[in-house]
Amino acid sequence: MQSIISIQNVHKYFGQVHALKGVSLEVSKGEVILIIGPSGSGKSTLLRCINRLEEFDEGQITVDGIPLDTAENINAVRTEVGMVFQQFNLFPHLSVLDNVTLAQKVIRKRSKAEAEETARKLLEKVGIPEKADYFPGQLSGGQQQRVAIARALAMNPKIMLFDEPTSALDPEMIQEVLDVMLNLAKEGMTMVVVSHEIGFAKAAADRVILMDGGLIIEEAPPLELFNYPKEERTKLFLSKVL
Amino acid sequence: MEKNVLPARKSRYFDRWWILVAAVVLLILLLVFLIPKPYKDILLFVRNGIWTTIYITIISFLLVLVFGLLVALARLSKSMVVKGVSTVYVEVVRGIPMMVQLIFWYFAFPALIQNIGDALNIYSFREYNAEAISMAILGLTFGYSAYMSEVYRAGIQSISKGQMEAARSLGMNYFQAMRHVILPQAVRVILPPVGNEFITLLKDSSLVSVVAVADMTRRGREYQAAHFIPIQTWIMIALLYLVMTLLAARLVTYLERRSRMER
Repeated sequence: MQSIISIQNVHKYFGQVHALKGVSLEVSKGEVILIIGPSGSGKSTLLRCINRLEEFDEGQITVDGIPLDTAENINAVRTEVGMVFQQFNLFPHLSVLDNVTLAQKVIRKRSKAEAEETARKLLEKVGIPEKADYFPGQLSGGQQQRVAIARALAMNPKIMLFDEPTSALDPEMIQEVLDVMLNLAKEGMTMVVVSHEIGFAKAAADRVILMDGGLIIEEAPPLELFNYPKEERTKLFLSKVL
Repeated sequence: MEKNVLPARKSRYFDRWWILVAAVVLLILLLVFLIPKPYKDILLFVRNGIWTTIYITIISFLLVLVFGLLVALARLSKSMVVKGVSTVYVEVVRGIPMMVQLIFWYFAFPALIQNIGDALNIYSFREYNAEAISMAILGLTFGYSAYMSEVYRAGIQSISKGQMEAARSLGMNYFQAMRHVILPQAVRVILPPVGNEFITLLKDSSLVSVVAVADMTRRGREYQAAHFIPIQTWIMIALLYLVMTLLAARLVTYLERRSRMER
C-alpha cells in the first residue's frame, strides 16, 4: 500500500544539538501512529517536520505525493494536514465559531454561510455545539482542545497531527478529548499522535513508535510493543510509564 | 448559575477625565469672552495655524501608522539584508533630534537635489524647490515611523509563537497570518503606546514652525512679534495645545475600552 507520509533520513540540528539523527518512517493512508519517548527524544520535532513548522537540515519528507520543498508546496501540504497543539493555540480574539471558520474563509474561500455550517457541524461532532459564540478564554482546557480539533478538521485534512494533545489538560478532561480522537480514528483518518496515552494506543493505534536520542528505537503494533518489547531502551521506558 | 456565562457589559460608563477637558475648554471660552482683548484677537489670529497643526499631525500620523508597520515587519524579517537596512534606519533616525531632521528635509534635502541636478544636468532636479508643509509631513513621518516601528515590533513579539504556528499550520501564508491572527491581537496590546505616540507627535508638530510652516506655534510667534504681549499669547497657545492633547488622550482611552469589550 502506498504511503501518504514518507519520511526519509531526516536530520535536524538546533544549533549544536543533533535533534533528529536520520529518521525514516512510512505512514499508510488511514493508519494511526502513536509516537512515545522521553522528553528531548525528538518526537515533537519529528511531528513538526511533517508540516514543516520545523525546518529540517537533511533528508526528504513527502506528504500525499507532494515533497516539502518550495513555499508553495509547504502551504499546499499544510492545508491537507491538520495540527493540534499541546497548548491549543486557539485565536483568543475570535469567538469559537470564528476560530473554526477563519481558515475556511481565507484559504478555502468558502462563503460565510457555508463556513459557518461546516463549523457548526464540527462543533456538534466534538460535542460542544452550544459554545459557538463563546470566546476561547471562557472555555475549559478540554473544551478548548476540542475546538482546536474542530478548527483543524474544518479544512478537511487528509492527515491529522497531534502534538501531546492531552498533556496540558486536567485529568478529568483528558477523556473527552481522547473520545473525539478515537472517533476520528474509527472514521479512518490518518493520524500521527505524540502522546503517552497508552489507553488510546491500545484502543486505536496501528503502530507505536518509541523514539530516543533523535532515533526511532523500536516500532510495533501496540500490544506487541507494550507486552513484548525487544529493545532494552524500550523496556526501560515502558517500566516508567506503564 | 452556569459557569460560563458571558460577562455582563457595563452599558454606561463615564470617563471622569472628560471633566478636565471641559475645564480647559471653559477656561479658553472665559478668556475669549470676558477678556476679548487680547485673547479673542489671539485666537482669531492663530485660527489658521490651529488647522495647519491638526492637518499636519493627522496626515503624518496616518502615514506613520502604515510605514511604522512596514518597518516593523522588515525588522522581523528573516532576510538579513531587509533586517539590516531597517535596523540601521531605526537606529540612525532615533539618534538624531527631530528638529535637526526637519531642518534637514526642508533646507538640506532640496539643496542636495539641486546639486545633483547641477552635476548631472537634470533640469527638473536643478529647479527643485521644497514645499514647506509637504517637507514637514515627510520629516515627521520619516522620524516617527522609526519610533512607531518599535511599538509595533514589541506588540507583535508579545503574541505567543503558538499563534503564528497555529495559523501557518492551517495553511495561511505569513501575511494572512499577520493580518487575521497576529495584528488584531497586537493592536490591543499597543493601543496605549500608539496613543502616546500620537500625542507626542501632536506636540512635536510645533517644531515645524522653524521650517516655514505657519502652524499654531509660528502664528503665536508672529502675534507676539507684532503686539509684544508674550504672556497672554503663550497662555493661549499652551491652552490650545492642551485641549488637543487632552482630547486625544480621551479618544485613546475610549478605543482601549472598546477593544477590551470586544473580547
